[in-house]
Amino acid sequence: MRVGRRAPLGNEAAVAVLFLAPALIALVLFRIVPTGYAVVESVRLKGEFVGLDNYRFLLDSDSFRRSLTTTLVFGAVLNPAQIGLALALAVLLIQRLPGARLWRTLVFLPVAVPLLVSALVWGIAFRPDDGIFNAVLAVVGVAKQPFLTSPDQALPSIMLLASWAGVGYWMIFLIAGLQDIPPEYAEAAAVDGAGWWRTFRQITLPLLRRPLAFVLVADTVANFLLFAPVQVLTRGGPREATNLLMFEVYRQAYTFGDLALASAEVVVVVVVMVAVVFVQFRLLRSDG
Amino acid sequence: MSRIQSQEPSKLIRYAVLTPLAMLVAALFVLPLLWMLASAVRPPRDILRYLSPLSLRVIVPTDYSTESFRALLDGPFPRAVANSLIVSGVTVVAGLVVCSMAAFGLSVLRFRLRGVLFAVVVVSFLVPFDAIAIPLASLFRTWNLQNSYAGLVLPGIGNGLAIFLLRQFFLGIPWELREAALVDGASWWRIFWSIYLRLSGPALVSAGLILFVFQWQAYLWPLLIVSNQRLDVASVALAKYLGQFDFDFGQLFAGAVIVAIIPMLILLPLQRFFAPSIARAGIKD
Repeated sequence: MRVGRRAPLGNEAAVAVLFLAPALIALVLFRIVPTGYAVVESVRLKGEFVGLDNYRFLLDSDSFRRSLTTTLVFGAVLNPAQIGLALALAVLLIQRLPGARLWRTLVFLPVAVPLLVSALVWGIAFRPDDGIFNAVLAVVGVAKQPFLTSPDQALPSIMLLASWAGVGYWMIFLIAGLQDIPPEYAEAAAVDGAGWWRTFRQITLPLLRRPLAFVLVADTVANFLLFAPVQVLTRGGPREATNLLMFEVYRQAYTFGDLALASAEVVVVVVVMVAVVFVQFRLLRSDG
Repeated sequence: MSRIQSQEPSKLIRYAVLTPLAMLVAALFVLPLLWMLASAVRPPRDILRYLSPLSLRVIVPTDYSTESFRALLDGPFPRAVANSLIVSGVTVVAGLVVCSMAAFGLSVLRFRLRGVLFAVVVVSFLVPFDAIAIPLASLFRTWNLQNSYAGLVLPGIGNGLAIFLLRQFFLGIPWELREAALVDGASWWRIFWSIYLRLSGPALVSAGLILFVFQWQAYLWPLLIVSNQRLDVASVALAKYLGQFDFDFGQLFAGAVIVAIIPMLILLPLQRFFAPSIARAGIKD
């Protein structure tokens, strides 16, 4: 019965190579080669091998250290906030409410808008003198805020716009996860007399771990690489307050034209990102 | 959705508390878009008019005007939108061919290195594109791909997520179909084309949307690889517009509406293909 199967196996490997070749070439050329290229360029200076000099220079540079800290703080505040909000929205909008589908679609709508467009629109809304946010604040009697023009408020303002643009996306994953939980679990908890909060904490959340892990990792990566709002609205300022890593790399490569340092920064970006993602996976896997 | 009676909030809570809350939340998400739309379709001189004192007319235009759109359409912007459509369209078609072929190789064909090759796909998918866009742009310049449609399209074609999703779908197609076709003497290409692709409509729509969204949202890459204004995509053209010394609010809003509404028109009717399939691909093994 299985005799017929053995014959084409060698043949299948050759066929598989042909089918896979275009995608593998694309992935290797456009993902793996540039990563390797960045590593090679990062240990060279004007064509000569300089070991880790570029990295040492970066670690001594205030501007890079500040950018790294800003990016890590940005993620540490924003990731939990966005995921908490997305989870709350998912739990709310999964209830059988009149118009539930419509409310869900409206929350999802900003996801369809390119981040750059969201940044432009919010940028105009944030304008201190003729922006709509200060007009709204005036109605409730709050003084004018500087938003993007102040070193203290610029980063939180970008967090706000990034959350508006992104939370609906993460919500969709969590809704899908909630819908996958068999109702028998909640049923059993109800029979045991558990209230909503206890059921949520002890049954729903643990069963939601996989989608939560995915959202945590994907959201972390997205926020770590945030670029468009910074480039178009604040150019890293005021006083470097919004100089997130991706913009720092861009500035290093294109404004300062230092490709060696920019390459070293790319390597740091990739390494930090992979490390953070790895730790998150480990944490989510081991506990419980 | 499948919540049982005893766990469901009472009718009173659902109607009196949760529904207004859901409406409020939805309003917060949709208001900036309404403001953008209202500002684009009113006479440009009125855009800042209802801010102080703030009136509802900020989001509900009473005078309509197409002035902003007409002014915008006179400039280089229509060409930029056309560039975006071309780049996204070519990426979807070419990307679907490349990704579905790869998915077929990783799910239907059996060979020794399959696990290793699948790992290569997963790893390259873990390196987000934007992180390596800057070194890749240097390479593209040495390969003479800057300022070309090819340069804009190529990085979008091999999409790890699309491959992943199509592979999952192909794995669900009964193995017997493959065996029966082999007995009938069908070629591999024929099995791929007339059995697997024909049965994979929904997965192809999902993968196509992923490829489209990747290109339509792209900003960093087109910014790096194009310096010739004739090849600017819509988002870059819009960003440059903001950078001009005396930009016009109306035209900026009109451009924002155009760049935002095209993906909405494509995504909203196809939402059921987009979100859940990505969600499941991300969640399950």
